[in-house]
Amino acid sequence: MMLQHIAWIVLFAPLAAAALIALATRRDDRLSAQISIAASAVAFAGSLILFLAFDRFELAWSWLNVGPLKVDLGFKFDALSGLMLLVVTGVGTAIHVYSFGYMQGDRSFARFFASMSLFMFSMLGIVVSNNLAQMFVFWELVGVSSYLLIGFWYERPAAADASKKAFIANRVGDFGFLLGILMVWGLLGTVRFDELEARLRTDPGAMGAAATVAGLLLFCGAVGKSAQFPLHVWLPDAMEGPTPVSALIHAATMVAAGVFMLCRVFFLLNVPDSSALPVIAWIGGGTGLLAALIAVQQDDIKRILAYSTLSQLGMMVMAVGLGGPGPAMYHLVTHAFFKALLFLGAGSVIHAMHHEQDIWKMGRLSQRLPVTCKTFLIGALALCGVPPFSGFYSKDAILAQGFEHNTWLFLLAVFTAWLTTFYMSRLVIVAFFGGPKSSGAEEAHESPGIMTSPLIFLAVPSVVAGIAGIPGRLSTQFGAAAEGAHGPAGFAALFEPFSHSPLPAFLGLLVFMLGVAAACSFYWGAKEDPLPSKLGWFARAMKDRFYFDEIYSALVRLTQETIATAAAWFDRWILSGLMVRGAHGTTELVGRALRLAQTGNLQTYALLLAFGVAWMLFYALVAR
Amino acid sequence: MSPLTLIILLPLLAAVGVAFVPRSFRLLIRFTALLSTFVPMIVSLALFVMFDTAQGGVQFGQKADWVPSLGIQFYVGVDGINVCLVLLATIVAFAAACVSWEIQQREKEYYILLLLMAGGIMGAFASLDLFLFYFFHELALVPTFIMIGVWGRGADKNYATFKITLYLSLGALIALIGLIALYQNSGLRTFDMIELARQLKERPLSTSTQQFIFPWLMFGFGILVSLWPFHTWAPLGYGAAPTAVSMLHAGVLKKFGLYGLIRVALPMLPEGAASWVHWLVALSLGNIIYCGFVAMRQKDLNLLIGNSSVAHMGFAFLGIASFNVLGVTGAVVVMVAHGLLAALSFGLTGYLYQTAKTLEMDRLGGLLRGMPFVGTVSIMAMMAGCGLPGFANFVGEAMVFFGIWKVYPMATVAACWGALVIGAVYMLRAVRVVWHGASAPIGDAGTVAWVDAPHWWRRLPYLLLLSFLILFGAIPRLLTDKIQPEVARLLPVQKQLPVPSLAVKSSPSESPKPFSPAPLAAVAVSDSIFQHPGEARHRTERNDP
Repeated sequence: MMLQHIAWIVLFAPLAAAALIALATRRDDRLSAQISIAASAVAFAGSLILFLAFDRFELAWSWLNVGPLKVDLGFKFDALSGLMLLVVTGVGTAIHVYSFGYMQGDRSFARFFASMSLFMFSMLGIVVSNNLAQMFVFWELVGVSSYLLIGFWYERPAAADASKKAFIANRVGDFGFLLGILMVWGLLGTVRFDELEARLRTDPGAMGAAATVAGLLLFCGAVGKSAQFPLHVWLPDAMEGPTPVSALIHAATMVAAGVFMLCRVFFLLNVPDSSALPVIAWIGGGTGLLAALIAVQQDDIKRILAYSTLSQLGMMVMAVGLGGPGPAMYHLVTHAFFKALLFLGAGSVIHAMHHEQDIWKMGRLSQRLPVTCKTFLIGALALCGVPPFSGFYSKDAILAQGFEHNTWLFLLAVFTAWLTTFYMSRLVIVAFFGGPKSSGAEEAHESPGIMTSPLIFLAVPSVVAGIAGIPGRLSTQFGAAAEGAHGPAGFAALFEPFSHSPLPAFLGLLVFMLGVAAACSFYWGAKEDPLPSKLGWFARAMKDRFYFDEIYSALVRLTQETIATAAAWFDRWILSGLMVRGAHGTTELVGRALRLAQTGNLQTYALLLAFGVAWMLFYALVAR
Repeated sequence: MSPLTLIILLPLLAAVGVAFVPRSFRLLIRFTALLSTFVPMIVSLALFVMFDTAQGGVQFGQKADWVPSLGIQFYVGVDGINVCLVLLATIVAFAAACVSWEIQQREKEYYILLLLMAGGIMGAFASLDLFLFYFFHELALVPTFIMIGVWGRGADKNYATFKITLYLSLGALIALIGLIALYQNSGLRTFDMIELARQLKERPLSTSTQQFIFPWLMFGFGILVSLWPFHTWAPLGYGAAPTAVSMLHAGVLKKFGLYGLIRVALPMLPEGAASWVHWLVALSLGNIIYCGFVAMRQKDLNLLIGNSSVAHMGFAFLGIASFNVLGVTGAVVVMVAHGLLAALSFGLTGYLYQTAKTLEMDRLGGLLRGMPFVGTVSIMAMMAGCGLPGFANFVGEAMVFFGIWKVYPMATVAACWGALVIGAVYMLRAVRVVWHGASAPIGDAGTVAWVDAPHWWRRLPYLLLLSFLILFGAIPRLLTDKIQPEVARLLPVQKQLPVPSLAVKSSPSESPKPFSPAPLAAVAVSDSIFQHPGEARHRTERNDP
């Protein structure tokens, strides 16, 4: 019984670290970093104990209780949150350690770690939420920690702008999310997941025709946080933050929170009256394809990975939309490992290249950075979906899900998988092989041990997570809903996809080979990108991200700015000017008019007095 | 003697005392001001902690006859609602006394007026007698005008003084007419608010009388709280006022109107409220949406904060308009949260003004590096201002949204947009321009030495306000457990709430309109799926003890 209370330590250790650093130790860089890393490690150890000791439990403390609104600060531990806890704290700890090396010498070292700890707390809060309102609270807190970390180098205009953009885009999504929560609460009378689930189990039609709208509104939250179309524009800009931040927040954990949330509320989406799921599936699939296309023509190593993250998140969202939260979560977990690995690898490259991020200025880094290169390759192979790397199994689960439910989306996902292999091969070939393309690439040196050891630490699960039996653990959560999740662990899992649904598995392998072959033919030994000359305007559009940023800023100018200008004008000239000064003027005019009566002439006063008396007499005597 | 009497009298007596101190004893004057606001803060904190939530009702009361022939009493006391507001008032008063170091001229007169204002504010929120309540408000209001006129700043000072005086006097006058009408029509010959509410609940006024009186109170109190479109005095006035006056007025005194609506108008005129409440909803959206847009276009940081403060009042109005326990409790939480936040924001801009001699945002930039403390606290205040969880404002606003959702769903959509998106747009813009980015030293002032509140006593008022903001944001039950039972007692036992079915059909893509007729239409429609089991339960809890 007492062991459960470790849960609170897991949740609050990072907050305590953030507060301690902010209030006390911020002048001592080393100590601050140590506190932050220790808090993350404690959270990881606690999560591990909980994971091994419990299947499910729930703790709750009443946070707000007014009238019909009851909100707990809850700790809901089950297969879903248990797995997510391990991912967040595990990957988080590795990245904390890595940051200790990467951020060395930054003038705001302590502030960085305080923000990281604040982020860990907020993220863990989302994961363990037992109700929608708590989730929203931490959802917002995650948003602000992301804002603080993207804008960590706030003196750089690009970083300051990117952080603002990210926060506002997230707020637009949260607007829908909040309305969704209000709606669900209005319809079902509670925000607690277990009560909601129980209510829907007894009466699946309880939400009636509003189910679709409510589901889509909740999905808005995921659209913002997981950067799905049409709010995807903030994530690539978020790469302005330090690279460990990109790895932790904008690849492995926070952006996956949207997918996690969809899995958590899957029972609300998956009701008979709701047609939200197909919409979700198409938005996810569309985002996956769009982002993969854009990634093909990016030159900044972090941006390529950012668009790849978008694309993979799209695949996960699509899996949820196809009725498979199991495969989505599975892919979320493996993706967290290998994408964090890829980002940290990219960070190591950037570190070695003295903050050069253009892949066309790299080349032959495989010899200069052996550890980084090997681990990066592992990550890339996992992302492209090669057995026995973990990404193959989770991606196959999603493909199988698509194969069973929607042929068009299945084909779209396969095409996206081909693009994925293509742009990752392009990145690896250009950056790590071929001749060195700049003097920086010739002189690059491998990063110190504190940065390479997290790479190795993350490379292990990137390889083996596929055979660790994650789907089996998840199937206890989603039960029958988790179709396509395969059960066995260990050696039996190695070849399971080929027997379970062979076509998607073999197709996945085929597109991998085609992708590598295509990339090799284009990029092996290339000095510059041959695609723009071949594809013409389309390559240009891909490079320019299909002009979404331009379209949005034009839209904002057209609507928001216009309204704001009009309102400010109205406020100044009509409300403040005409009405107030007008009233002022009238009063003054009346005053001037009345002053005419104040002649100082006694006869006039007497006359007026007489009139007054006469009128009063008339009123008192006659008019009554 | 009730501790509340002490809280009220201490600043007032100190004001009298300061009048007899020679003006060269500057330290003594300042120290008196600090002490006579610090002690009430400690006392009210003790009251807040010692307040017996389980028992509820009026506590720490004191009653004495004043004008028996009219039924006017000196009656002070706190229940769950105003115990929070008195705490707010004393905290802000102390913080305001702390930041008054900026005043260099005519300190003696300044501190006399400041203490008068503080005493009046505390009196207004501790009073349970309608006459006393109004009297203390006026007592606080008059020094406000003088202080803006004498110690104010900026080119618009005179116009702002003139405008704020006109508006607030007018608002107070209109409210007074409503209060007198209420007193006359009740026929009870008492100004005792508790007694009035109890009697009028048993024997309510006729519907037509209520419908006649309510708008006087609604618009009168509304003008005092900068209800749209009577808000234009607020940003201008706060921009021109000395820091402490902005803090006290925007933070606390302004809440008088909201408090009056909750304490007087809603419980004593429930049917009048019911027939006017959709106006309140529509106008509050004017506050939230319109003033939000206006705030986006401000070039002066103080005008931006002022407009956002006006926008925040919309949430309180909206909560009151919800007419249910959740929404009205939310409105009270918004009052407390906004009081702390407004005081904090104006305190910080005041500090910035002292350093930079300007608040034009184009001339500021990248200040965070030079002023890490003030900058960090400012950014936190701005985050609180756009409704970030962890600060008390979020709790209040969220409760208002949950409260109003079942009654006016379309208005909720618009208000959520205002809170989450519009608020974020202008607040983050201010952060971006003022604090982030490369530092741009001010042109004609040359290189300004950015002094970052070097001593702990300079930091104290900001830290104090911020920590209460976070405390109530993290543990909102400190407030809500006290407020909720009283609100439940004040609110009339209603007929079945008319519940709209519009929520079900509302489309997410529909853009929010500041004033949409939809919520009005929605009231007529009723739908049982919105009925919540909890609703019936707390309705029975509302009975008087």
